[in-house]
Amino acid sequence: MLNRVVVTGYGAITPLGLNAEDTWRNLVDGVSGVGYISLFDTTDFKVKIGAEVKDFNPIDYIDPTTARHTDRFAQFALAASLQAIESAGLKIDESNRYDVGIVVGSGVGGLDSVTKQLEILSARGPSRVSPYLVPMMIADSASAQVSIKTGIRGPNFSLISACATGTDVIGIAYKMIKWGEVKMMVVGGADAAVTPIGLAGFSQAGALSRNSEPQKASRPFDRERDGFVVAEGGAALILESLDCARSRGANILAEIIGYGATSDAFHVTAPLESGEAAARAIELALAEVDRDEVDYINAHGTSTPLNDASETRAIKKAFGDKAYKIPVSSIKSMLGHMMGAAGTIEAITCCQVINKGIIPPTINLEHPDPECDLDYVPNVARAGDVRIALSNSFGFGGHNSVIAISRYNGQ
Amino acid sequence: MNVFDEVKKALRKVNPGLDDNKMVSSALLKDDLDIDSLDLVEVAMTLEDVFSLTLQEDEVDTIKTVGDIVSLIEARLKVRSA
Repeated sequence: MLNRVVVTGYGAITPLGLNAEDTWRNLVDGVSGVGYISLFDTTDFKVKIGAEVKDFNPIDYIDPTTARHTDRFAQFALAASLQAIESAGLKIDESNRYDVGIVVGSGVGGLDSVTKQLEILSARGPSRVSPYLVPMMIADSASAQVSIKTGIRGPNFSLISACATGTDVIGIAYKMIKWGEVKMMVVGGADAAVTPIGLAGFSQAGALSRNSEPQKASRPFDRERDGFVVAEGGAALILESLDCARSRGANILAEIIGYGATSDAFHVTAPLESGEAAARAIELALAEVDRDEVDYINAHGTSTPLNDASETRAIKKAFGDKAYKIPVSSIKSMLGHMMGAAGTIEAITCCQVINKGIIPPTINLEHPDPECDLDYVPNVARAGDVRIALSNSFGFGGHNSVIAISRYNGQ
Repeated sequence: MNVFDEVKKALRKVNPGLDDNKMVSSALLKDDLDIDSLDLVEVAMTLEDVFSLTLQEDEVDTIKTVGDIVSLIEARLKVRSA
C-alpha cells in the first residue's frame, strides 16, 4: 500500500525574516524585502537592487569552523533545515538515522566561492586556490552539510532544476516516501545569488527588473512589470509518512497530495508561450484530486513579462472557467526571487495559508494587464478557507513543477 | 620570526577555537586538534606565504603532529640560510 505523505515542520531564512513565522507575518502585511544591494558595490551595475537576507549570522546555527568552510547558500540551508527539524520535534539518533533522508537543492550553488577563488587563481596562481573550494561550491554541499551536522544517514542528494528546484525537491521526496523508500525526508532549497557575477549574469540575460524604486520593482502580473528581483535565502520542510508522523506523535501541518513535472522543450530562458507544458504539470499534480477543489494557487509569478502571461495561460488551460474563481498570488512580489529556495518557501507559505486562513497578496499590482486577468489577490491579504493549495514553480530551461498541498483532515 | 608561534597562528586561522595549551609539539593534528587533510593544505599555504617558501605535497603528506610542521619549516629555513 502506498504511504500518505505529511508535512510536520519547516524553517526559513528569507529577506523578510530569519524564520518562517516572521516571514509569514511580513507576507501577510504586504511588506517588501527588496532594497539597494549592500553586499557589494553596485556602481558599475545596471541593476542595483536585490532582496538580501538581513542580520544573518551563521554562528547562530553552526560552529565557526563549519561557517568558514561553507558557502553562504549552504549556511542558509543549514539554518533552515535545523529550524525545520526542531519545529518537527524530530530527534535524529542511532534508532532512526537511516530512516531519515535529505534532499536540498540549489539553483546556482556556491557561486560566490567560485568567484572569489577564480580571483585568487588569476592573481596568485593555482597553488593558492583554497582546498575548501570544491566542498564549498558544489551544489550538493548544502545537503551534505546538513547530513554531517545532524547525523542523517538515509538517502542524501541534491537536485537542480533552476528556479523549479525548491518544488522538485518536495516532489521527489514525496514520491520516495509514498513508495516506501524512506520514512522521513528533510527537503530544502537554498541560493545566495546576490553576488557580482550572479547579478551581472541574470542582468545580461535580460531577466531582471531595471525599476529604480526597489520596493516597486517586483510587480508580478502588473502591466508595468519588467523582470524579477534577485533574492537569496533558504527554506526547508520535514516530510514523512503519515504512519511515521502518527507513531511519533508529530504535529501534522499539511499533506502533500500530488506532484507534476514537465518540460517545455523550447528555450533556455523563455517559457513556452502557450503555457501548454506548465498546464500539463498542473494536471499531473492534480491527478488524484478534483480540480474544483483547488482553493488557492501560489504562483511562480516572477514579474517577468513572459512568465506571468504564460503562467496565466497555463492556469486557464488547466482549470478552464474555474481559473477566474481561484485566488492566485505571487509572494515573489515581496520576497523577490529566491531561486532554488523559491519553491520551498512557497510550499511553506501554502501550509501557512491552509492553517491560518489568510491568503498573502500580490503587491505592486497597480496596472491591470489584459494578458493577466485572473484574481491575483492584489495588494492586500485576504481571508480564505483554503483546503487545497497548488504551488507552481518554473525554471530556466523549461522546467515546470507543481505540487498540491492539502489540509490534513485528521484521518 | 618564531616558527612555532607562526605554526600556531596558521593552525588557529583554520580552526579559530583552538586552545593555546593544546597546540603542543606532540599534539596530533587530526585526533587532538581536529585539523583534517584540507585544513592542513590551508595551513601549509599560510606558512608558505609567511616564510616565503614552497612546500612539496609529499612533504606535507607525512605531517602528523604540530612538531612535524615546525621541524619541516625549520629544516627548509636552515637549507635556505646555509
